[in-house]
Amino acid sequence: MKEITQKMRDTARELLSSGQVALVLGWEKGYPWYKSAPTFIDKVEDVERLVFDEFCHNNLSKYLLDLAAVDGKVALFVKGCDSRGVNRLIQDNQVKREQLYIIGIPCPGLKDPDDAAGKNWGDEINGAVKCQDCRFPNPVVYDLLLGEKVPAVERGRETRELIERLEKMKPDERYEFWAGQFNRCIRCYACRNICPACNCRECVFDRAVPEWLGKANNLVENQFMQLTRAIHVAGRCIECGECERACPVNIPLMALNRKIINDIEELFGEEPAGLDPEKKTPLGRFELDDPEKFM
Amino acid sequence: MSVGLNAEKQGTGQKAWEPKILVFACNWCTYAGADLAGLSRLQYPPNIRILRVPCSGRVNPQFVIRAFQKGLDGVLVAGCHPGDCHYSTGNYFTRRRYLLTKRLLEYMGIDPQRFQVRWISGSEGPKFQQVVTQLVEEIKAMGPNRKMRDPE
Amino acid sequence: MLAIEKKRLNELLRRMNRDFQVYVPYLENGTGKFAPYQEERELYLEMNTLLPPKDIFFPQTEKMYKFRAAGNELEIEEIAEQKEKQVVFGIRSCDAFSIDCLDKVFLSRGYEDAFYKNKRENTLLVGLACTAVGDTCFCQSMGLNPQEAVGVDLQVLDLGAEWGFKARTAAGQELLAKYGDVLHETGASPLPAEEFKLKVEVEGVPEKLSRMFDHPVWEEVSRKCLGCALCTYLCPTCHCFDVSGKVKGEEGYRFRCWDSCMFSEYTRMAGGHNPRPTKKERVRNRFMHKLSYFVERYGQLLCTGCGRCLAKCPVNMDITAVIRKIKEAEVE
Repeated sequence: MKEITQKMRDTARELLSSGQVALVLGWEKGYPWYKSAPTFIDKVEDVERLVFDEFCHNNLSKYLLDLAAVDGKVALFVKGCDSRGVNRLIQDNQVKREQLYIIGIPCPGLKDPDDAAGKNWGDEINGAVKCQDCRFPNPVVYDLLLGEKVPAVERGRETRELIERLEKMKPDERYEFWAGQFNRCIRCYACRNICPACNCRECVFDRAVPEWLGKANNLVENQFMQLTRAIHVAGRCIECGECERACPVNIPLMALNRKIINDIEELFGEEPAGLDPEKKTPLGRFELDDPEKFM
Repeated sequence: MSVGLNAEKQGTGQKAWEPKILVFACNWCTYAGADLAGLSRLQYPPNIRILRVPCSGRVNPQFVIRAFQKGLDGVLVAGCHPGDCHYSTGNYFTRRRYLLTKRLLEYMGIDPQRFQVRWISGSEGPKFQQVVTQLVEEIKAMGPNRKMRDPE
Repeated sequence: MLAIEKKRLNELLRRMNRDFQVYVPYLENGTGKFAPYQEERELYLEMNTLLPPKDIFFPQTEKMYKFRAAGNELEIEEIAEQKEKQVVFGIRSCDAFSIDCLDKVFLSRGYEDAFYKNKRENTLLVGLACTAVGDTCFCQSMGLNPQEAVGVDLQVLDLGAEWGFKARTAAGQELLAKYGDVLHETGASPLPAEEFKLKVEVEGVPEKLSRMFDHPVWEEVSRKCLGCALCTYLCPTCHCFDVSGKVKGEEGYRFRCWDSCMFSEYTRMAGGHNPRPTKKERVRNRFMHKLSYFVERYGQLLCTGCGRCLAKCPVNMDITAVIRKIKEAEVE
């Protein structure tokens, strides 16, 4: 990781001093020690702030939506999942590939900051659930790759096992399970705001007229919000797991998103989102011989 | 939705419970099919409310969730058969979208009978009658929907 | 000092719960929160709860009144006042001080919020002294004592094997007398709080901020903010709300629910104009409110150093780092 950090700084320094890019999106050390935060570097003297470690969770592609104010090219560091977020945004015409300089980092799998709370540097920390069965640890799009590509390894199956367990339940039991989850939702919208697939200019939840989503916090409104969100990112979710990490009350949102991804792959044989920026999304296209056994 | 959702309060009063079912009918096929069923004097239970939409592709999954929220016991989305869409391809998108949505709703715990999708053309009056009759029977057997529903 | 053996605490709570609605901290799906006492559930007393106790007084969604309007007839039905006496057991110094802040907002300066008042007046607060200090705790820097909460009726102290009780008000004294039979006298002394890992110097910040409205620091500070409401909803002192209604036929009700200055629609006017158009203005407002406006109006900070926002912000927005930046900033 130290090596990658050094390479990041060198690369950023070169890009900024040569004037190739106007801004570098990266991570810096936050507080406590198990947090790394997004950072924006536009001065050569600030490149020493850049780090890469097992807590660099944030998918920086989300910030590409703020680029309108930036004059010039932008460089950003991406892990495997993050790079799919970049493709997603290009696919949605939110950003132009020519405006970006993408620096890929093969990802070793990150650690769970919640598990690190109260522990010390060097202690054993659990891996992040979102990284357990990552299929694309290596960036799928980049101009420069720092470090050697790594193999995809399955480190756990927590989310998949939860989905399998839910699929075996009776409808009423499943309903109870999700009602219990959505009852806890505090409607802070961290899941939406951190998501690189959520890029509508105005979100339906923010519109007062018509009021699709009531402001009251209750099970029904929360269900409406979470289901709408899940359907909205269907076929566009890049599995970065940031929604689930950002959720302060531990709602297993990836058990929702991953289920939809499974279904899309099973029903339509579509490839995962964010691999090919040219291709239309699974729900934005169709085949004449799509299955319709339910009709 | 001014389809008389509030006209009779469910579960109150002397009247026995009757299911309320919302049918999203595409203007070009299913709505014509329903019309034909009427013209042909084909009887079907009066538990459905038809909401005419330009195309089954117009039906946002949010509409379905909202319908359950507002107290409907079942929802049917119906449109032209693949290949017959007035707008050429609208229903192909519908097919993908609702294959997925149906699975998602079931994953959320909604009973599969409560949300259905069918192709019913303008000439299929009898099919409309049969689909609606069966849907009403199934939902009558299940009783009122309490899931994803606004508290009274 | 009166005390109870730790393993017998449930006896006291059970007794208390007969006379009051008792709220205690529980861990639910990994999230600490205050909830009505249930005998068989295990209490969560190791660390502070993630969700603050403010919703006991100021629920996230609260009905205000019901109405029925038919023709020219209008009937309004008030929501019944809560008369039930309640106890919040295990409130930490940071959260007790947050209740003090909310009291200032809802009960002082000539307007009393009836919904808040009626719950607040019927509630006794039992403070719980902190011995363990979380990675993100910094209440000490905000001038609070982690072992001595402001405004509580009773302070609970950790004596090792026992919980010690010190009455702070007459009502607290009454509580101790009422349950005296399950308590005993002890000579044990309280365990001290751990050393704080996070410290920040806040001296002079409110005054300085009043001259920093147009400072470039806000551009820098707000850049990574995602504009979600996580910080405001986990904050024990944030108290903004919106009033909304629900109508069904001739009947309906009005309710209020938490709102957040981090949302873009928070300041959006009916015509579409938004005086806080970007996250820069919104983030500035949040910190200004916490560290300057509230001090100007009520003479105290609106940050209690509970550290929840820092612990959970998905982009690690760190209020202590912001305070340090403000201190370093050059102002004309």
